[in-house]
Amino acid sequence: MHHAYIDKFAYQDSVVHSLDARVKFIAAVIFTAVVISLPRTSFAILFCYTVGPFAVLVLGRIPLKFVFKQILLVSPFILVFALSCPLYDKTPVKIAFGPSVFQTTIGWMRCFAICGKFIVTMLALIALVSTTRFSNLLAGLRKMGVPKLLIIQLGFLYRYIFVLIDTAQHLLRARAGRTLRNLGPKQEMKTASAMLGSLFIRSIGTAERINIAMQGRGFNGNWRTISRLKISNNDYIFGVFFVVFIISLYFFASTVLN
Amino acid sequence: MHMANELLSLPVAGGTLAIAGGVLGLICRKAKQVITSEKLALMGILGAFVFAAQMVNFRLPAMPGTSGHMVGAVLLAIILGPHAAAIVMSSVIIVQCLIFQDGGLLALGCNIINMAFVPTYAGYYLYKIVTAKPFSNFRTYIGVMLACLIGIEIGAVLVPVQAALSGVLMVPFSTFLITMIGVHFLVGTVEGIVTVTVLVYIQQVRPDIVAGNLQGKVRLSRRTALATFVVFTLIIGAGLSLLASGMPDGLEWSYAERPDQPNFEPIISNSDSRIAAVDKLQSKYSLMPDYSIRNNDEDEKHQASAGWTSFAGVFGSITTMAIIWMTAWILRRNNPPTVTAQ
Repeated sequence: MHHAYIDKFAYQDSVVHSLDARVKFIAAVIFTAVVISLPRTSFAILFCYTVGPFAVLVLGRIPLKFVFKQILLVSPFILVFALSCPLYDKTPVKIAFGPSVFQTTIGWMRCFAICGKFIVTMLALIALVSTTRFSNLLAGLRKMGVPKLLIIQLGFLYRYIFVLIDTAQHLLRARAGRTLRNLGPKQEMKTASAMLGSLFIRSIGTAERINIAMQGRGFNGNWRTISRLKISNNDYIFGVFFVVFIISLYFFASTVLN
Repeated sequence: MHMANELLSLPVAGGTLAIAGGVLGLICRKAKQVITSEKLALMGILGAFVFAAQMVNFRLPAMPGTSGHMVGAVLLAIILGPHAAAIVMSSVIIVQCLIFQDGGLLALGCNIINMAFVPTYAGYYLYKIVTAKPFSNFRTYIGVMLACLIGIEIGAVLVPVQAALSGVLMVPFSTFLITMIGVHFLVGTVEGIVTVTVLVYIQQVRPDIVAGNLQGKVRLSRRTALATFVVFTLIIGAGLSLLASGMPDGLEWSYAERPDQPNFEPIISNSDSRIAAVDKLQSKYSLMPDYSIRNNDEDEKHQASAGWTSFAGVFGSITTMAIIWMTAWILRRNNPPTVTAQ
């Protein structure tokens, strides 16, 4: 099943995996903010920024094929938006790259810049998520002041997504096995809503059983975890590398731009 | 309609993140009194239900090749109440961002506002107003349909507004707005029909679940469905014509956009004073200010040197990546990846 393996790489072991979730989260947010605020027409600088997430992904032993598949999977909306740019801005512009000079339009440059930024920020997000266990990320977010109710909600949600997706796939397979021809919109809608209704009722049944089991084990609304979060030397080293990377690229960018 | 990072500027992303975070904190505090520990498991699982429900797709009538699925915000708001539903939907958006990489990290604030807060609160209160006593089959139908449609439409309208405030729009604002309204009209209507039928199904099989939230017995009946359809069309038609007369320039723009007028210069939303203000704010607080592209001949020399610098940057990066990859490859040749127990 496709979904069950979506964050399987978070359970590997590597230097990057052992970093503190908070450090990685903050680094990802800062990195994304810096990339977003890059000028809309500078690919060379944008390309330099890919070194960061690339290094994290390689050190974390995440297969790049998986990463690009994932990016492709979530790209349709941004692609439509990016491809509409060349239609609206046809100002001709020359760009120089090494020995060669190209003639193009601002619209196309923006299109590529949007796609490029999308890919770079997605690389950073995937680098964060596929090297951090979700439970550690939640513990980190809790320490950073996210409300407890939301953390409990996220924990439950994450735990049961895959269970319910499995149930949904059973329903879908049953429907596919019984549908030999197009039934027409009315019947189609009726079937779908009956499926959704029964999925909903099954979900509630599951929730009731889980609740009884949790009450039986003394759950009173407090989520107890063994907190393993600790800032170690590796985190400091990562932090220094990150800061040097961002600052040096900033100076490189400002020399290119001026 | 998940927003990506690229559609937002830093000030807008930061502002919406702050708003979403603040409101979410407030809701959590408020909901703490209402939500007992027994409800926690239920809320978590209903969040997972939203994911699973997205997999149950069905062919849309009159549009071969496309399929629709349920979003579920209004269904949750009717069954759980608006606060709990807003928390559940927000958690769904956060997991979609963090686990499935759907929507950007910085766009999280926008996405939570557009797809969690607006549909649940707007939908819930609209439903409550329309289905106020006395109970009738017809009122419930209309209430749910309108709640789904308008909740989703308001969220969809916010997307171009946020993009325009960021000043990143190349597409004229009105074109983007009309496209979003059009597409989400279909989404909202389908959502409404599915939500009504699912509610009816749940009431037949497990009436206790919806006991406090549906005042009477709702049935599926052809006559009521037909009447709902007529009234729904009338209300939407009236709403659309009001909207059209309220913003004639919007329609004029989209009319003037026709390709048979080659001399037409698209009105880019950057000419708007609000946008200019945001642009100014962005250039002030942005880490790297935007720069103008040089393409006149005097700048040829400058351009050439900039070309070489960027060339050096790209090749430097490629070399660095190659070195990182080679080093990692050499280091790991002798020990395969280990997976610790989950």
